[in-house]
Amino acid sequence: MITSTVLLLLLALLPTLSADRFPYLHPVSIDTDPENMLPADEPVRVAHNASKKQFSLHDGIVVGIVNETHPRGVFNVSTLTKVDEITRFAMELEGVVEVDVMSLSTVDSISQAGPGTVRFQWLMAKPPADQAEADDIRSRAMRIPFLRDTLFSADGKALALYIPLRNKNDAHEISVALQSKIDAIGSGDDGFHIAGLPVAEDTFGSEMFIQMAIAAPAAMLVIFLLMWFFFGNLLVILSPMIVAVIAALSTMGLLIVTGNTIHIMSSMIPIFIMPIAVLDAIHIISDFFDRYQHYRDRRKTLVKVLGDLFQPMLFTSLTTTAGFASLALTPIPPVQIFGLFVGFGVLLAWFWTITFIPSFLMLIPEARLEKFGRKERTGDGDSHDDGVALFLARSTSRGAPLIIAGAVLLTAIAFLGISKIEVNDNPTRWFEPDHPIRIADRTMNSHFGGTYNAYLSLKYSPPPYDPDSFAEGLAEKAQRMEEALSAAAEAVQQHLNSLDRGTILDLLDEIDRFVRQRRLSSESAPKRGAWTTLEGWLDWAFASAEDDETPPADGRSELKETLASAAAEMREASSRYRSIVEEVAGQAPETSDDFLAALSLEIETISTSEDRWRVVGTMLSSVQQEKQAFKDPLLLGWVSELQEFIGQHPVVGKSNSLADIVKTVHRDLTSGSEVDYLIPSHRDTVAQTLEQFLSGHRKDDLWHFVTPSFEEAMVWVQLKSGDNRDMQDVVAHLSGYLEGHPPPVDLDEPQWFGLTYINVVWQQKMVSGMIDAFLGSFIVVLTMMTFLFRSISWGILSMLPLTITVALIYGMIGLLGKDYDMPVAVLSSLSLGLAIDYAIHFLARARQLHRELGDWDRAREAVFGEPARAIGRNIIVVGLGFLPLILAPLVPYQTVGYLIASILLLAGGVSLVLLPALMTIGQRWFFAGDADGSGVPEEAPAGSKE
Amino acid sequence: MVTSITAIFGLAAVIGGASGDLSVEEIVKRTNHAAYYQGNNGRARVSMVITDGQGRKRERELSILRYDAPGPDGEQKFYLYFHAPADVARMTFLVHKHLDRDDDRWLYIPALDLVKRIAATDKRTSFVGSDFLYEDVSGRQLDQDHHELLKTTENFYLLKHTPKDPDSVKFAHYTMWIHKKSFLPTKVEYSDASGEVYRVMTVGRVETIDGKPTVLEATMEDRRTGSRTVLTYKDPAYDIGVPERVFTERYLRRAPVKYLK
Repeated sequence: MITSTVLLLLLALLPTLSADRFPYLHPVSIDTDPENMLPADEPVRVAHNASKKQFSLHDGIVVGIVNETHPRGVFNVSTLTKVDEITRFAMELEGVVEVDVMSLSTVDSISQAGPGTVRFQWLMAKPPADQAEADDIRSRAMRIPFLRDTLFSADGKALALYIPLRNKNDAHEISVALQSKIDAIGSGDDGFHIAGLPVAEDTFGSEMFIQMAIAAPAAMLVIFLLMWFFFGNLLVILSPMIVAVIAALSTMGLLIVTGNTIHIMSSMIPIFIMPIAVLDAIHIISDFFDRYQHYRDRRKTLVKVLGDLFQPMLFTSLTTTAGFASLALTPIPPVQIFGLFVGFGVLLAWFWTITFIPSFLMLIPEARLEKFGRKERTGDGDSHDDGVALFLARSTSRGAPLIIAGAVLLTAIAFLGISKIEVNDNPTRWFEPDHPIRIADRTMNSHFGGTYNAYLSLKYSPPPYDPDSFAEGLAEKAQRMEEALSAAAEAVQQHLNSLDRGTILDLLDEIDRFVRQRRLSSESAPKRGAWTTLEGWLDWAFASAEDDETPPADGRSELKETLASAAAEMREASSRYRSIVEEVAGQAPETSDDFLAALSLEIETISTSEDRWRVVGTMLSSVQQEKQAFKDPLLLGWVSELQEFIGQHPVVGKSNSLADIVKTVHRDLTSGSEVDYLIPSHRDTVAQTLEQFLSGHRKDDLWHFVTPSFEEAMVWVQLKSGDNRDMQDVVAHLSGYLEGHPPPVDLDEPQWFGLTYINVVWQQKMVSGMIDAFLGSFIVVLTMMTFLFRSISWGILSMLPLTITVALIYGMIGLLGKDYDMPVAVLSSLSLGLAIDYAIHFLARARQLHRELGDWDRAREAVFGEPARAIGRNIIVVGLGFLPLILAPLVPYQTVGYLIASILLLAGGVSLVLLPALMTIGQRWFFAGDADGSGVPEEAPAGSKE
Repeated sequence: MVTSITAIFGLAAVIGGASGDLSVEEIVKRTNHAAYYQGNNGRARVSMVITDGQGRKRERELSILRYDAPGPDGEQKFYLYFHAPADVARMTFLVHKHLDRDDDRWLYIPALDLVKRIAATDKRTSFVGSDFLYEDVSGRQLDQDHHELLKTTENFYLLKHTPKDPDSVKFAHYTMWIHKKSFLPTKVEYSDASGEVYRVMTVGRVETIDGKPTVLEATMEDRRTGSRTVLTYKDPAYDIGVPERVFTERYLRRAPVKYLK
């Protein structure tokens, strides 16, 4: 026992302490990544990672700086100087994605600098020298909607630094470095907050250890003291402690040796194993205690005790194991691992309990047991617990109908509570409300658009392709372009007619104005294209007119002629293009890309630098660019409206997208005033606007929002809450909207990604998975019970305490409004394990005593002797024993502490009160078979038990 | 700073000019000339392929015209015209490069039929969305750096340039391999404060055009983002007689097609 444990621990510890020397062994590895709640190959997670890569997104640290005292908020010389220094410091840290660090010091601003001049500059190239400069930074910053509420708060009191990390496992180290930098600079009247999910995860990892190192041992200590109180013999109670510790340590050792990580779930394994291990041991010790003075012989007492307890203990362990092992049915790997290992630990504890504890007791010299154990009964009610037991024994008999009615009523209320259960989780809330992470969370979410990120990925869905209809489409476009060109050329001819005869250059100037104006006022793409083509022709006309040393006398006729022949050439080129399209269609290219490639190759082989081919080139490239859906103003407008709608949700603080970039740059390229904060109405305007953004200091920021092919885009939604419930609500909010507002261009189903969303997905899986697991184990345990008692009605009877306990626990959670989160979910398995234990012990002994005594009334009094006392001690020892968990620094452990105590109390109470009451009422059924020594007839109506 | 876009425009620094012991200043001066000032004017059609860290490509095609003010290497004018992609075609840029003050820059956005003057506070912004910076293309002023000759090999000089005002730029220093005969920089490496090289320019192909060694392919690699930009020059030509008037606002709207190719 000791050897195997030490061996396991060595196997686990050696590689941890000295990884190089034991390369084949697994060191302890901590996993605090909520993403791992889903298997690595889970489609949602695969898509999440693909999208993160697609848009070059990294998890990172957020440093929040708040200044409530300065009249200018954070926009003052001192604060901005600090921000600049910290930014520069952060950018040089190893592991930081330098180019993506976002701070006032690292972002661009575009602004108007006098009429016709646009200024591109760093928002804060260097810290301000005086308040006037700080004010200038503030006023320029406030003009960038894209950054407002993201990089700084609209009230100017807070600003943020986004520090993306190459690897989020460096978060702790980097946040420590940042903190010491902040300490060195001195915070002054600024409040600094370091937040971000990676930091939370890291902190969680270390607090998990505090919990395992302090809370679990503290629980053991309390259990130890309580057992001491009950049994009074230090030596005897040492044995359950040893069994519990050994079972927990071996299981953890095995967990590590098999290469599993220590996760929020697996860190709770010891806490679950220990009460269950102690549970069995207490049954033995308790019985031993009660009987020792009767036999005053270790061996005889043990033979009697084990004779009575072996079967119930085997079954309780098997059922508990079944309960936990059923967690393997959930689709969440950490929960599966948790269930399997706790199941294993329970079996291990059982094995050591039936082997080690008797041996241990045998080794205790009889002399030391002189005073051990309960004195022989001398009369009724001479001790406190006897009184309670007797009271219970009698009241459960007399008050049976009342008890049953009460149980039915409570269960009904419980189901009402269950219907109110709110499924929700939020990793940030795993910390206590006064934890710095929670404080940072509250502060930053009150100032900014939100620190919880969810992303919506939008992908262009090209129309189905077949070469013929594709060719048809191309030809049709060429046709429209030709018509537009003819019309445009005709319009120019007429305009020329209306002009006076003058020099060619003067006429060209006039036509130039005319063509430009017509292009700008054209709505349709072919018309715009036609006018653009004419502008190309004008370039050449100008060039040759400039060179012409002997200008013709009648410039107008000359121009009319050249234009007519140019237009004819272009039409010819276009019709040639159409026949090439047909030819290429004949080759039946497999994809539209292949089609266009073949087409462009064909055109290159026959075209020279001749002017007329320009029109063809324009047509071709405009087709090639059609796939770049996110340059389409209609689609960008749709994205904008979608953002506006999603922004109405109370949890959504802000959203950012390509549309916002386009609007901002467009505004500052044109008038700089709010009327121009819009999506321009043409594709080429969008493209040319974005080109200016790309010429800034932070061109790569664009690729966070759209792929270089412009086929996929992303909307970054900032949420003020990381509650799964809220994210779920936003998802539902949007999908309702999408139904009524289809995109103007075909898109794939919009997909959410980001950790906040991933949390929702695994939670949904957890809820449905837990229901399956619970139902599965319920059926397994019912079968086992039926087998144990050789009776369906006894089987069902034994399931009642756990059914009611689980119902009451979850009913209570529903009524109290406590969120159904991960620890709450897995506790149903613990309830099953613990509650069935009490039922088995109670029923097995009741039945046995009934056989021995031949009468339920006498058996009932007897069952409230040793068996009930053992259960009572269990409830108190284990229930109180786990209350120290309430002191744990992390909320999930506190929840477990409260709930274990409640489960024990309820399961024990229900077993001791409801079971005897039911047996009293239904004794003819239950004991019918016992009278003639055969099993209970199968026809016992199962439904009547409810 | 020196790169290749403009390298094509220069006169070969004095043919065979690498005489025995040149001073650092002389090497820097000749390199500057070879990289930016060959010929009195010139033209090239540039195709630009930007490949990001994930292998995704974007392409641009533009023409560049250059005009040098008479006299020693000093004021220059540049004209840029976009041919492709179609949605940015006809966009133009105009630069009047000065040595004693900020450059004058203009931009024409055809979709809005808008000419804008650009007031930029620094030259270290992206050149048309590529990994080259505006400064790489227009040239970094020689007096902004301390120059140091690290070593001389059979064919190359290795120079180290350290900015006089370290706060004005991101790099801590850059080194430059200069071909002794042509005085063309063939590799430039930018290092950050920790000494790590984060940007590298390499010249892929050089040919002699009109007797002038001319860069035909240059690559800029940004090691922090994994992105790289390859510039390929088609039909470079020197002394094509492009008149100074082309480098005025009027021609932003009206492409001087005769000189563009």
